[in-house]
Amino acid sequence: MRRSPVGLRIAVLCYIGVLIGVPLIFVFQQAFIHGFGAFWTALRDQQMDHAIFLTALVALVAVPLNVLFGVGASLWIVRHPSRFTRVLDTIIDVPLAISPIIVGLVLELVYAQGGWFGSLLAKLGWQVMFSFPGIVMASIFVSLPLVSRQVIPLLRELGDHQEQTASTLGASPLRIFFTITLRSITWATAYGVSLTLARVIGEYGAVLIVSGNIALVTQTLTLDIGANFDNFNSYQGFVGAVLLAMASIVLLLILGVARHRERKRNEYLA
Amino acid sequence: MSISLNGVTKYFGRDLVLDDVTDEVPLGSLTALLGPSGSGKSTLLRIIAGLEPLNEGHIELNGRDVTSVPARDRHIGFCFQDYAPFRQLTVSDNVAYGLKVQRMPKAQIRQEVDDLLRLVRLEAFADRYPRQLSGGQRQRMALARALAIKPDVLLLDEPFAALDAQVRGELRGWVRSLQRELGITTILVTHDQTEAMEIADRLVILNEGRIEQVGTPDTMYDKPANDFVQGFLGPITTLNGVAYRPHDIELCAPDEGVAATVTDVIRLGFEVRVVVSDHNGTSSWVQLTHDEAQRLNLIVGERVSLRVRLGAKKNRGPEIPEVFRIKGVESTSD
Repeated sequence: MRRSPVGLRIAVLCYIGVLIGVPLIFVFQQAFIHGFGAFWTALRDQQMDHAIFLTALVALVAVPLNVLFGVGASLWIVRHPSRFTRVLDTIIDVPLAISPIIVGLVLELVYAQGGWFGSLLAKLGWQVMFSFPGIVMASIFVSLPLVSRQVIPLLRELGDHQEQTASTLGASPLRIFFTITLRSITWATAYGVSLTLARVIGEYGAVLIVSGNIALVTQTLTLDIGANFDNFNSYQGFVGAVLLAMASIVLLLILGVARHRERKRNEYLA
Repeated sequence: MSISLNGVTKYFGRDLVLDDVTDEVPLGSLTALLGPSGSGKSTLLRIIAGLEPLNEGHIELNGRDVTSVPARDRHIGFCFQDYAPFRQLTVSDNVAYGLKVQRMPKAQIRQEVDDLLRLVRLEAFADRYPRQLSGGQRQRMALARALAIKPDVLLLDEPFAALDAQVRGELRGWVRSLQRELGITTILVTHDQTEAMEIADRLVILNEGRIEQVGTPDTMYDKPANDFVQGFLGPITTLNGVAYRPHDIELCAPDEGVAATVTDVIRLGFEVRVVVSDHNGTSSWVQLTHDEAQRLNLIVGERVSLRVRLGAKKNRGPEIPEVFRIKGVESTSD
């Protein structure tokens, strides 16, 4: 392998260091400034524990739904293309292009009491805004395309010859999906899942608006961190930030493995 | 099992890709669907397999109408040009796939897979993954996988196109003898006329979605129904408006034939191609043996005369409806 130019190496490392390295070290240093005992006590803060629990619950609902939607939509778009799916293919990307604050505001306008659906749902006794369903909805919205963006190009590249061969061998569509299609897209889906999970647990803007940010009720971990900094309780905030950072690091490791698997697959394709 | 195609018609959007295709494929035959790219031959193969719906017509397998039967119930072995190996499965799991679908007992599956791998000479590769195989090995694996379900009919889409020349030659002979041995009715799609004539006992020539001619390789070569078939099955050289094969033309003394100018001499081992152009500048070629060429010692720019060899066939069927222009060689009906 050729050695990379020294100037290029320094530039890239400085860029990453200034943007990611230094802030990350700072967050960890601040969280452990009073030692492990204080960190452990801060972890058992009631408000934060509720926020962690709520965030986990939101992820537990939002991520599987987006995986089902993402894989289903990808199969539809790639395997049964039509004029409609071309439009769908573009619409799926919309959440990435819209600011999360706008997403929150629009969801609130539509689903809050007095909104288009809000009034109807209120009559049925369902409160969507400022409660769990609203948070899940906003989380799903902001992470909508992250699975399908990974799966669609892979399905296109794979083509449908394996699936068609399986059908000539007598396999049912369901069997083909589980034995051929799903096994081929497992790693791409895993990659999409990690991206979705990271986005869901890290989302701030959209959730801030639709949740109402009520402590011990609708406050997710990111909102709790924000509230702590606002209330001059920055130590508690850093502890929460470290938790999020560690979750991200674990996800990054999973992503690394998924990527490695993908690369192996590409070597065969080449 | 015999296959009968009855008025098979297929549109892609507004494009007519198959126009009223009717043919009867006899039991145990090896038929080559031959045609240029875009002639609809692969589409026809996919329609027979049930992988593509048709717009009009009927397909029968041994007298049973399967037109609306889905691919998975047709009991047909199908091999794609890219072999479509199941990448996540080992070679033996690939071959076992159809048997598992049939819920065959495990011990029996193992036995069948062993037999099939021996048949395609891949017994040493049972636990490998497709990515660890060469192109020819992948093709044999795909063939074993298709044969595992003991299909009534075997359909091969451009089976040798992705292989290098030497492997292609070996596999052709091997597939042919395997087909003979198993006696399975086989249709093979190819754009290569040499391959089709070498392997098939029956040719169906398709052009722009229509069948141009059906017959044995010999009759097709010697008695092509029209200029398209003649031009597609091999090179032609026209003399006084009549098309001949280049090996049916010889060079002769001036005044005895048609005047032409040598524009190139190409040596292909035992065979020598003399490229000539007539007074209109139309280019064609004459095939000579190595000895003949050496004796004549032709040089580029030399003026020669062409005539038909003694005993050569006028390479034409009885009825020729249209005038075609093929590969820059003009020919008209006589």
